[in-house]
Amino acid sequence: MLTLILYNVTNGLMLGAFYVLMALGLSLILNLSNVINFAHGNFLALGAYMALELTKVIGFWGAFLVAPLLTALVGAAVELLMRFVYRRDPVYSLLLTFGLAFVMQGLMLWWWGPTPQEMHMVPALEAPVSSELFFITWYRVFMVGIVIAAVIGIFAFLRYTRVGLRIRAGTLDLDTVSALGVNVRMLRTFNFTVGCLLAGLSGVLATGAIGINPNMGDDLLMPSFIAIIIGGVGSLTGTLFGGLLIGVTAALTAAVYPAASEVVIFVMLVLVLLIRPRGLMGEEGMLS
Amino acid sequence: MLEVRNVSKNFGSLVAVQNVSLLVRPGELRAIIGPNGAGKTTFFNMISGFFAPSSGAIVFDGEDVTKMPAHRRVGRGMARTFQITEIFPELTVHENVLSAAEVAAGQRLHMWIARADVGRAERVVAEMLALVGLSAKANRLVGELSHGDQRATEIAMALALRPKLLLLDEPTAGMGDQETYEITGLIRRLHRESKFTIVLIEHDMRVVFHLADRITVLDQGRLLAEGTPSDIADSAAVQAAYLGDAA
Amino acid sequence: MSSTATVTAPVEPPAQWRRLLPVAAVWLALITAPLWFPLMGGYTALAGSVLVFGLAAMGLNLLLGFTGVLSFGHAAYFGLGAYGAGLTLKYLAASTPLAMLVGTLLGGLGGTLFGMLIVRRRGVYFAMCTIAFGQIFYYIAYKWNDFTGGFDGLRGFHREPIGLGALALDITDGDRFYYFTLVVFTLAVALMGLLVRSPFGRTLRAIRENERRARFLGIPVERHIWLSFSISCFFTALAGTLYALLNNFADPLALHYSLSGFFVIMAVLGGMRSFWGPLLGAAVFVVLRDFLSSWTVNNWMAFLGAVFMLSVLFFPRGMLGMLKRRGVE
Repeated sequence: MLTLILYNVTNGLMLGAFYVLMALGLSLILNLSNVINFAHGNFLALGAYMALELTKVIGFWGAFLVAPLLTALVGAAVELLMRFVYRRDPVYSLLLTFGLAFVMQGLMLWWWGPTPQEMHMVPALEAPVSSELFFITWYRVFMVGIVIAAVIGIFAFLRYTRVGLRIRAGTLDLDTVSALGVNVRMLRTFNFTVGCLLAGLSGVLATGAIGINPNMGDDLLMPSFIAIIIGGVGSLTGTLFGGLLIGVTAALTAAVYPAASEVVIFVMLVLVLLIRPRGLMGEEGMLS
Repeated sequence: MLEVRNVSKNFGSLVAVQNVSLLVRPGELRAIIGPNGAGKTTFFNMISGFFAPSSGAIVFDGEDVTKMPAHRRVGRGMARTFQITEIFPELTVHENVLSAAEVAAGQRLHMWIARADVGRAERVVAEMLALVGLSAKANRLVGELSHGDQRATEIAMALALRPKLLLLDEPTAGMGDQETYEITGLIRRLHRESKFTIVLIEHDMRVVFHLADRITVLDQGRLLAEGTPSDIADSAAVQAAYLGDAA
Repeated sequence: MSSTATVTAPVEPPAQWRRLLPVAAVWLALITAPLWFPLMGGYTALAGSVLVFGLAAMGLNLLLGFTGVLSFGHAAYFGLGAYGAGLTLKYLAASTPLAMLVGTLLGGLGGTLFGMLIVRRRGVYFAMCTIAFGQIFYYIAYKWNDFTGGFDGLRGFHREPIGLGALALDITDGDRFYYFTLVVFTLAVALMGLLVRSPFGRTLRAIRENERRARFLGIPVERHIWLSFSISCFFTALAGTLYALLNNFADPLALHYSLSGFFVIMAVLGGMRSFWGPLLGAAVFVVLRDFLSSWTVNNWMAFLGAVFMLSVLFFPRGMLGMLKRRGVE
């Protein structure tokens, strides 16, 4: 009985870890550039596929390091296109990432085919932590550890580096930042790249958990949205808490009433919109 | 007509306006002046309902409007123009003023209107355009007009609302001499002939002294002085405030 | 102010009859569609799809193009309309009018209620909420296998003849249903046109052009945005009921945010700022998608996405928007 609960909770926490990582990347891009990256799930899948291919060449650990970076590079290239539409009505940048999602999905489908593929994991990681908790493999521990490291890394980066400061300032008032002489275009590109890096990392981590297919990121997109809305648009800390909250809630619900574990996040969304529309940590008057 | 009692506004720890009071009589033209950063626009924003004061009260035409949202104050008879002209750039002059006239006629929600009502709103539009001198350009897109014409359109829109009080935020901002002269003449006509009550913020002293019945001077969020133009011109305190600022 | 040096002659709006010409051409094309469409490789149901999606996109455009508010979740109301109609026919009564009524109300009221929640938000945040909310219904339709047919969609119903006995209008035939759809479309669009030309429509445009100025003209902006949202949802839901009737089928994809995105694309592609733009965009989209998916089974998504991206980058004003620039009304 306890084992079953633990099993569900563990799964939920793992899922929550992905939610957090994806939501953070999305939130970064949203806050600075006012863009919803519809292709974020596709960047995850791209990261996974890159890892798959790179493992054949430089082994798992090599792929683990390189795949997210390559994904980030693709993100940088894409962001250059977005420069055309930034100064226009936000609808255009949304449509651009929306179209991009289709293009990426189509291309990945074409190149790798629709059949899910498996990644050969490093045997050491596949071993379970203990015979009782057989469902907690070292891989899962590793994964959660990486996510924690990544989250700490991102927050430290934003807090303690100059670029991080500019990004934070930019989310509040991009015009002023520009007037202070900062190259806003490069800032946005960099920010978008970091967001895609997180998505790529998520993808690499996902290879050990689920099969690799072009749609693998789609199921994470909506929860990421909801994490951002619940946490409060404009606040990265809020997104973090939002992601953790829905992850934990989903996990607990899974332990108690598994069928409802996916719908519970939608319920939370509606509750938040009703009771506290600006989200947990959102700011009053968060207009756009 | 308009009474502002001890109004203050804080933005966090920044005190923008502190304990300013004002009393404007019907038919008066009041100018609000002061060096940069004196809190004039913030003060204006509170009167027009852009945001609420942190403390104090605003009474308009006998009614306490302190907490009333902006669009309802407009319904009560307050109309305002903005420092950066706020008009509908991709509509024509005619359409701009028509929007205002229709709102004033209570038609904004109507899905259809009777012919008589169409006529009524159109007559108001024609009248206002004639008043500001834009009749010839009625079918031009406002976004393409000169700065002065855009400001005149904005004033026409404000007038089409049939206001009891006209709030003008730096009406001559960004204008050359000729345009300033014409806008000033327009405001003078509105004041003297049409007998509007007007409160305006202005930096151009020539305009202020030419138009104002009374002047209120703000400095660093506080009320510095108030009086007739000659009072203010003679006031040493006012001069110090301006000169000190220019230094 | 007569101070400006150059005096350009004011632009005269085109003569009344010239304005009606494109509209008349559109109607002519639509009425005769079952005749010429198949000759071009199409089929009547495809033409029906154009009308259905066109109506949905035009409904959305009331909000997007005329009020200036972006909703990326309108498929929710489309799908609610579709499922409402389908479920009514399957479980309640074999009555097409009832099905259409239920579907339209379901989608419309859903939108009205939801609109109240988010009306103070703007921009991208507003759009995000519309997406997330829409996905709730997608999820319900997807999971509730017993009731909604789950991922495979709702089947087991078909459009019923309307009326009683001798006066029955049999719309089960494809061509007959096309004309029925056209009639409904015409009525809906006429109503929309009335709205757009009215003072209410002008107020919406004012909000689009300059929200602050609208507020300071005395317009209660939030209330109008909510009204616009609500009305647009009713029209889109009506389109959804037609969709269900057209296909005798309702599927979760009719609720998915990707369809919402398609509606936005249709509006933008055809021209957000024009009344008929979304219909044109819908026509292009429907035909293009049909063509691409039969041409290349696996990759049509990539091509479609590429078309979206290119049009956003190079034709932001849309087809009718570009025509307007050259002086054609």
